[in-house]
Amino acid sequence: MSARPELIAIEGVTKRYLTSSGPVEALHDVSLSVEEGAFCTLIGPSGCGKSTLLGMLGGLVTPDQGRLVVEGKPVTGPDPRRVATVFQEAGLFPWRTTLQNVEFGLELQGVPAERRRRTASDLLGPLGLSGFAEKYPRELSGGMKQRVAIGRALALDAKILLMDEPFGALDEQTRVLMGEWLLDIWRRTRKTVIFVTHSLHEALFLSTRIAVMTARPGRIKAALDLTMDYPRSMESSEMVALRAKLWSEIREESLRAMR
Amino acid sequence: MPRAGAVTVVALRLGLLAIALAVWEVAGRMVNPLLGVPPSAVLPSLRDLVLLRSYPDLPANLLLTVREIATAYLLAVAAGLGCGFMLGMHRLVGQAWGPMLAALYAVPAVVWYPSLMLFFGLDAASKISFGFLLGFFPIALAVLAGIRQVNPQLVVVARAYGAGTVTVFRRVMLPAMLFTLVGGLRTGLALCVIGVVVGEILGSKAGMGALINHAYGLLRTGDYVALVLVTLVLIVGSDVLASLLERRARRWTE
Amino acid sequence: MKVRILQLVTVIAGLGLWELVARAGWVDPLFVPAPSAVAPALLRIGRGALAGLADTLGKTALAYVLSVLLGVSAGVVVGSVRLLRDVLSPYVVALYGIPKILVLPWIVLLLGYGTSPAVFYGVLHGFFPIMVLVMGAVRDVDRTLVTVARSYGATTWQLYWKVLLPAIVPSVLGGMRLGVVFCLLGVLVVEMFAGVRGMGHVLSSYANGFQAPELFAATALVSVASIAIVLALDHVNEKLSRWRG
Repeated sequence: MSARPELIAIEGVTKRYLTSSGPVEALHDVSLSVEEGAFCTLIGPSGCGKSTLLGMLGGLVTPDQGRLVVEGKPVTGPDPRRVATVFQEAGLFPWRTTLQNVEFGLELQGVPAERRRRTASDLLGPLGLSGFAEKYPRELSGGMKQRVAIGRALALDAKILLMDEPFGALDEQTRVLMGEWLLDIWRRTRKTVIFVTHSLHEALFLSTRIAVMTARPGRIKAALDLTMDYPRSMESSEMVALRAKLWSEIREESLRAMR
Repeated sequence: MPRAGAVTVVALRLGLLAIALAVWEVAGRMVNPLLGVPPSAVLPSLRDLVLLRSYPDLPANLLLTVREIATAYLLAVAAGLGCGFMLGMHRLVGQAWGPMLAALYAVPAVVWYPSLMLFFGLDAASKISFGFLLGFFPIALAVLAGIRQVNPQLVVVARAYGAGTVTVFRRVMLPAMLFTLVGGLRTGLALCVIGVVVGEILGSKAGMGALINHAYGLLRTGDYVALVLVTLVLIVGSDVLASLLERRARRWTE
Repeated sequence: MKVRILQLVTVIAGLGLWELVARAGWVDPLFVPAPSAVAPALLRIGRGALAGLADTLGKTALAYVLSVLLGVSAGVVVGSVRLLRDVLSPYVVALYGIPKILVLPWIVLLLGYGTSPAVFYGVLHGFFPIMVLVMGAVRDVDRTLVTVARSYGATTWQLYWKVLLPAIVPSVLGGMRLGVVFCLLGVLVVEMFAGVRGMGHVLSSYANGFQAPELFAATALVSVASIAIVLALDHVNEKLSRWRG
């Protein structure tokens, strides 16, 4: 397998928070590198700092130690031209229609209205939202809202897509369907995705790489590379073995987090 | 930006107050003493007032104002509770008259005052009736809102356990609507107070408002400010009293 | 349907009872005229009252516009800067709670008789509820929306313009609806206390002249105008809140 260039490098990152019961270390000396075009999933128990790590890549949180490098440049703040983020809550602006929400990032960058509109409209098809352009968020289902949020991120055409448990608030069936849909989008757009989830199924189904994090203070405990073709059969012997391995890594950490 | 500590906030607040007083002092000394007085000139006026030197009949006027407020409030509470319950308990009546009541609320109450003055003259009655008018609406509307928000399921359950009407009222409805009700009672008191004071200032022969008008008319600005401060104490005091009773009532039904 | 009938019946019955009571002489017609006397009075006061109403509404409109501009700006600024909010909150609440009537004599002393004290006092009344409402709305803006906007690279200016302001529009509209009644109240009070023109003075002079039918007619006129304005604002409010559902 040809080695692709390293697009994202996380180098020795540490982050501390001050709480009412004293300082707490959320992340400790985290290092990870992600190659271009990868679908890398961060998985781990609650509180292990995966969202914090994602926030750092998105430029919203600064590390206390270490640094994050994207496309050769250190991260100093939000960089929508390179990195787009999708949060667990869709975060759609309730006063904007679907189309206006998708256009949001482009609007901030001063892209002229004509071009914005076209880019956004073109995305509606792949998003499965044709015909919903003029609807408001309150008229959309949870799954649809997330698709709009993802569309908003895709409109930026940034190389990197950060996703913080984007399907966490959805029901089981919708989650599975959204996963399949996301896979299709990823393979078509060739983006580099960093995906945070709790779900083993999602991690195994979607990723080319899985990074398991420890309980707080979070570290990268293990990294698994998945080379199977898409779409993946979750019943194959290879997958079953992988799942067992993944679960054993995670279980230990989850127990530790519960104490 | 990290949150400023509590001490810093208090210090800034006091600092702001000090600056405001300083500005008032300086500005007060510069303008025509008939138009504005600095705090330093208010203090002797205040002293004269409290020692009953400038207005020896201050206690009588204060008492009158207080009596007017009390009367207005008692009437407002009685009528407000009565109307509110009547509207709340009978669905059809409530649905019909509720919006009409709310519509009247959209009219600034002061338009009724000249009519009251016509009817009652400059005596206490016009102030009491105006205070009543102002205080009545929030109380009635609060009762209505309180009853509406009681979960009818609770009533059904209570009745299923054999509770009579009075019990249902006391143990189910009252606690559920108490918060809204007490809020309405407190707003009602505040509005009664404002109604009486406004009525007095707009025209009266006695009471705190009359004294204020008197001082203003004679351009005795220092006395005017002192009287305003005393009235302010009355107003704030009544609200503090109301909030204490609110807390007591809250504990009583917990 | 039944509701409407009951409302109509109430109004008719009320008027009917009033007419009967007045005719039977149970109340002095000098103080409480019959509806049948009030109706023609409405025509008599016609031009004068309408002029007064127009004058009052003009001042109210001016006071209202100023209240909204000042109230929203102050509310946004103080509400969005945590330090300002922490330090100033108790003062704002205190000033809001003080009955403005106490400073009325002084305002008239400073600004004289006429339009300026009425507008100033109207602003004083309308400004605070709007500011307090906007402050609360700014504080309650969904944090996720701010985070999302920041992740898309929004500048501070863009945050205010594209996130904060649209988010607080419902509260601003609510405050504006409240503010109009307060402004009108303030203007009327000044007109009653010291005005030369305006509905407040019209009402006062009818009262002083013991012209009961005219007074009732004029009172009804102002009340209807006020209710109409509030209903109109409610309508506008609904139209602009399509996205809220």
